[in-house]
Amino acid sequence: MSARTELHDELRREVAALCRRFPAEYWRALDRERAYPEAFVAAMTAAGFLSALVPEQYGGLGLGVTEASIILEQVNRSGGNSGACHAQMYTMGTVLRHGSEEQKQRYLPQIASGALRLQAFGVTEPNTGSDTTRLRTTAVRKGDRYIVTGQKIFISRVQHSDLMLLLARTTPLEQVQRRSDGLSVFLVDLRDAPAGAFSVSPIETMMNHETNAVFFDGLEVPAENLIGEENRGFRYILDGMNVERILIAAECIGDGDWCIEKATSYAKERVIFDRPIGQNQGIAFPIARAYANLRAADLMRYRAAELFDAGQPCGAEANMAKLLAADASWEAANVAVQTHGGYGFAVEYDIERKLRETRLYQVAPISTNLILSYLAEHVLGLPRSY
Amino acid sequence: MHIVVTIKQVIDPLVPPAHLRLNAATRQVDAPAGIAPAMNGYDANALEEALKLVGVHGGTVTVVSLGGDSVRDTLRRGIALGATGALHITDPGYVGWDALDTAHVLAAAIARYTPDLVLCGRQASDTDAGQVLFGIAEALGWPVVSPVRAIHSIEETGVVVDRLTERGSQKLLVALPAVLGISSEANEPRTPAVRSVMAANRARIPTVTRSELGLNAEEGRVVLRRLSRDVHDSHAEIIAGATPAETGAKLADALHAAGLI
Repeated sequence: MSARTELHDELRREVAALCRRFPAEYWRALDRERAYPEAFVAAMTAAGFLSALVPEQYGGLGLGVTEASIILEQVNRSGGNSGACHAQMYTMGTVLRHGSEEQKQRYLPQIASGALRLQAFGVTEPNTGSDTTRLRTTAVRKGDRYIVTGQKIFISRVQHSDLMLLLARTTPLEQVQRRSDGLSVFLVDLRDAPAGAFSVSPIETMMNHETNAVFFDGLEVPAENLIGEENRGFRYILDGMNVERILIAAECIGDGDWCIEKATSYAKERVIFDRPIGQNQGIAFPIARAYANLRAADLMRYRAAELFDAGQPCGAEANMAKLLAADASWEAANVAVQTHGGYGFAVEYDIERKLRETRLYQVAPISTNLILSYLAEHVLGLPRSY
Repeated sequence: MHIVVTIKQVIDPLVPPAHLRLNAATRQVDAPAGIAPAMNGYDANALEEALKLVGVHGGTVTVVSLGGDSVRDTLRRGIALGATGALHITDPGYVGWDALDTAHVLAAAIARYTPDLVLCGRQASDTDAGQVLFGIAEALGWPVVSPVRAIHSIEETGVVVDRLTERGSQKLLVALPAVLGISSEANEPRTPAVRSVMAANRARIPTVTRSELGLNAEEGRVVLRRLSRDVHDSHAEIIAGATPAETGAKLADALHAAGLI
């Protein structure tokens, strides 16, 4: 066994051991109360898992995206939900790749230790959705500060984050040659934000996923919190999105394996008409197909992670991994419900919770249609459709 | 202060019993393939106590284990949790059933460190014998107290502990050096940081053989001849009658016939 494989096995074992402290009852209660998994996230932070992608020189584990994806996959494979903490792993990537050395020294060690939580990412807006370059939130330079005004929506974990990575327009759309120009990235310290200039409105959603609408009304952000060069922010966030896609693909793989394991166990145990229901091909074949699709998606996830870790372009693979894994986990969750029959809807079986959680990844953080558009245009060379 | 903690590697207690197999040829319980063994739970409590003590008083903790190559993984776990060092003792004749022999080997290794305190788990989850720690104390000529549910303080005259009894506890002052058998009531073992787990993989763990400890190979004085699992049958019977009174009478008759009342 290679040292790398041993490390992967070790990470799986360690995450699984931690997750055993947070059994199904824990997640069920959170779901019922719509509460944030504070204790689970604290344990993941204390164990150091969320610092996986922070280089060792800044106090992190210095691992690759492959290893980070294994950590999150195992959380979901254990019945938990990484969505509450995955962004603490990757949002800092924009600071790491495009921030100044002073910014890295100032923020990354604290992010690695969990003293600072950077797990809110402010991009999506109510009127522009995925048409990111038309976003209307502005940041206007005034002396040594930027004044931010606008609105963002579906911004997750804001209330459990000290910092937010914010994308805002610094040069009006009509003054730039390309729509992707004129956008800038800021690190906004939410702890200092005065109530009148920054407010948060929680959005209740189908699954327990802490998300919000946020409003900026003249919020002052120190100019030193600008990441990289002004007006080049759109490019900075794009490379971080590949990591996000790969990690979420891995979470979907974890969900899918959990669902297939539940479906398989139940199909072996449940006896109707004097035989286990898994003996019926009507039950067995959908599980087998879901399993095959999941394994295929898993290969694409590893391929994308391997390319990213090697510093190779991986946009197509990262997007395809997310697309295939989201489809596979949704299929597996549906199969688990169908296999369980009425019990699939009973809260105590946890299947319906997983069904709701897997449904999210058809839409977030990028909708399946936009991935297909990306592949059609940028990989296959078809005309742009929008 | 220097503390030695004895560690035994066991089958992970989280493996469902239905997945365990009795191996008649080796007279061992086999876990499913791919399931890594674990540190005996009480030993994890003992290590946690040791780490807490050196956290307060300063000092070092050495974890010691006897067994094949696989126990090195459990020793690495001990280092990941915070132990300063580890010692792996190999003994080709070791089968784990002769508690006194195991104790002699461990005591010979422990004596090299001249520790202030030896902490052991009160018993191992596989044999459940709880004898090795007494053998170690006997071999070293030290006092031994077990099962310990709390270590209160280290004083000039010794260590103050709570020992569990059948109906309560005793507060004891034990002169050092001593051997203590730690029980699970003492603490909740910590979880290692993943960074420590990765660093422990690079830790150097010395190995010492039985003969290097100056001990000769011995015939086992306790030999395991057979390992078996009790089989419990159960069945259900529904007692029915035309009226509740008749049902009750039938139930009473059935219980009487079964010798239960």
